[in-house]
Amino acid sequence: MSLPPDYSNEISALNREILKQQPADTLQFCANFFLRRLESQRAEFLLSQQHSSPKGRGIAESSFPGSNPFGTSPSGGFASSQMHRLEEEEENDTIASPTASSFPPNAMDSSHNSPASQGTFGNFAGFGGSSKGNRSQPPSALGNLEPQSFPNNYNMNRRTSVSAESLNPASSANDNWTPPYHQKSDDQQSRLKAAVSGNFLFSHLDDDQSAQVLGALQEKPIPTKGIKVIQQGDVGDYFYVVENGSFDIYVNSSGKLEAGPDGLGNKVGTVGPGGSFGELALMYNAPRAATVVSTEQSTLWALDRVTFRRILMDSAFQRRRMYEGFLEEVPLLSSLTPYERSKIADALETKKFPSGTTIIREGDVGESFYILESGEAEVYKRGVDKAVKSYQKGDYFGELALLNDAPRAASIISTTEVKVATLGKNGFQRLLGPVEGIMRRNDPSKSAHSDGDNVDPLAK
Amino acid sequence: MAAAVHKLLHPHSHGRNSSKSEPEQHSSSPHERQDSAMDRAREDEKRSLAQWEEHKRPLSPDKVASDPERKMVGHSSRVLRQDDFELVKTLGTGTFARVWLVRLSDAREADQDKVFALKILRKVDVIRLKQVEHVRNERNVLAAVAGHPFITTMVASFQNHDSLYMLLDYCPGGEVFSYLRRARRFNEPTSQFYAAEIVLILEFLHEKEGVAYRDLKPENILIDAEGHLKLVDFGFAKKVENRETYTLCGTPEYLAPEVIRNTGHGTAVDWWAFGILVYEFLVGQPPFWDQNPMKIYEQIVEGRVRFPTAMSADARDLISGLCTVDTSKRLGNIQGGAGTVKSHAWFKDIDWDALYNRRVNGPIVPHLRGPADTRNFDEYEPESDSREPYSKDMAEKWDEYFKDF
Repeated sequence: MSLPPDYSNEISALNREILKQQPADTLQFCANFFLRRLESQRAEFLLSQQHSSPKGRGIAESSFPGSNPFGTSPSGGFASSQMHRLEEEEENDTIASPTASSFPPNAMDSSHNSPASQGTFGNFAGFGGSSKGNRSQPPSALGNLEPQSFPNNYNMNRRTSVSAESLNPASSANDNWTPPYHQKSDDQQSRLKAAVSGNFLFSHLDDDQSAQVLGALQEKPIPTKGIKVIQQGDVGDYFYVVENGSFDIYVNSSGKLEAGPDGLGNKVGTVGPGGSFGELALMYNAPRAATVVSTEQSTLWALDRVTFRRILMDSAFQRRRMYEGFLEEVPLLSSLTPYERSKIADALETKKFPSGTTIIREGDVGESFYILESGEAEVYKRGVDKAVKSYQKGDYFGELALLNDAPRAASIISTTEVKVATLGKNGFQRLLGPVEGIMRRNDPSKSAHSDGDNVDPLAK
Repeated sequence: MAAAVHKLLHPHSHGRNSSKSEPEQHSSSPHERQDSAMDRAREDEKRSLAQWEEHKRPLSPDKVASDPERKMVGHSSRVLRQDDFELVKTLGTGTFARVWLVRLSDAREADQDKVFALKILRKVDVIRLKQVEHVRNERNVLAAVAGHPFITTMVASFQNHDSLYMLLDYCPGGEVFSYLRRARRFNEPTSQFYAAEIVLILEFLHEKEGVAYRDLKPENILIDAEGHLKLVDFGFAKKVENRETYTLCGTPEYLAPEVIRNTGHGTAVDWWAFGILVYEFLVGQPPFWDQNPMKIYEQIVEGRVRFPTAMSADARDLISGLCTVDTSKRLGNIQGGAGTVKSHAWFKDIDWDALYNRRVNGPIVPHLRGPADTRNFDEYEPESDSREPYSKDMAEKWDEYFKDF
């Protein structure tokens, strides 16, 4: 007979704690551990009773401590402060009691207390509509004496789906769309670059995308003070970077700008040169979380969602199609289905090398396969003075590494700056299984050796 | 027989296009003879709807995937109208749709208990919210998947001048969401059971239909009278097959990193969301959360999931595998597909075949007074009266896109 899973879970949780804490008095430690577990489950049970609506009673009533499907499992047995414990697990060396009241006041919010200072994209962090629900209030105010409040202020309501405009790359190929370009001075360009560098939506962009996005930002002069650039509750289509001037940010707890002298709500921050606001509009059309008003004559740079997302989409789309096209030319992979080819194209990783880099070295054990995406490279073999071959865009090398561990048969050295798309044997096998199997699909008699020579000049 | 029924139900499918060129016909009464043929077809269709439930049983995945025209359900009806149904109660609302519990109007005594969920979409709202493409995808995917044991069955779809209708089977247990919030979290066996049924759904959608669902969350999963799951709301479902797609859609906490970064996404987004779902089952809230949605997205693209101390090692391993930012390493998307998820240690107690055939009892069997009991659904605000009309101009421009509905 095997041990009940609940028991095993409890014991492994205890084991983890013991390993972490290395207690001197093991017995006392274990006793305390289980006492805390029990305490937290009980607290949770009492909570769930208070939470349950009349029609839900049937479930909540029997949920402690017996065999009901809910809430009694050790895996589920964190107290109401379980999110706090999530944080602690990695950031705090002391075991805190899982019960809410003894939770140390600062463990969860330290990273979210950044003031709504200018220049950060976090400006709107607390704009949830009501400052009461704001996560960055002092955690002690969570009180935990009010059992009704869910830890971490997690919103317990139904969540609404979001959706942006339908983006279809197929149609963009026909209408020859190019992103708008607005001239900027070098100074402006570098200021803009710095302004968006902290935002994760921009930090993933490659150089081309980044240049296109910065080029698409359009100057928007704000002639005077008192102009509401965005209004809380309105639809949002633009993201703004402040070039010069200054803006105040207001949040009305009703969730939208209202008429009358107090309609703006409370001032929650100021944003100045290098700052930015409205970034959620780059994702989808959500109501603005705040009203932003100019306090003097100012200049903004604006970028709309469709332009932004389309720049990203078009470059991703083109890159994938280019990779798929390259992959089609690789005889070793000729039997891939279009589906498999698109998976490999998705997994290819772009790398850049300066001129003169040895990308693969003769005699080394091969691990990765490369496609030359831009630039040029030459092939050298030991004992031969001159390059035996040169590679251009679309050429590929090292693909036999996907098949076996044979040493590289030549060296490849870049002669210009190059961009390669690469994938390792492990990555390939993880996605599609061993290459041998894929090759055998078309023709069982076909083996790696029979077409090895035309497949890869590097293989011997 | 189904083919015969189908023929009977679509006697006017040719005449429909011609009526489009003369929109005035809507108000003027058509031919008398046509009318009586129409009435007979309607009566036949209503009778077959009333009996539909008795015939339903899980179809094998391959049967479900077969041509929807040959199935009893999922067709586009040319004869049904809103008057054929009595609206009983709102079951749910969305930004441009409302789902009603409905009963067949003028039903015979024996059919009084025969109820359905009727999803009504206003064309004008669908257009305003730029959801035309999504709504078409929804109907087509639902028609294609009708008959799967854990997916809501679209019995029929139809339309009138200003609305689109999807007639769905009624799932009286309500949303998994409500049970989860009430219980705060599910224990491991309960989570495993529900997760396993979701795996079967995703396996079918991805590998048989080439469909990405794109909005997995507890709100979209219902519990049926026997305690099994039904996936509903296919508003973002799309047949992607081997092409990536780019439109951002989903629910903030459940969006996959590649959707946020707009690098193109496919069925792998469902495996990410599935990891979030399992986490929410076990913990009571999703792993990435902040008051400010941009902060949620920042956490998602970073992809560092934190686990509570007491979560079992197998559950952590499964969730980590699913919530992997790199799609070429994400469980479910790598070689073996859903099979790799099914053979994960966390699912070792699941008998997959028995589960598909509903031979395993669900952990929660809803208490019901009858098939039309709505106690498991929340109350919703009544529909607002003010409604933008679907103008002639709009109809001219857009009806084209709804013609197959």
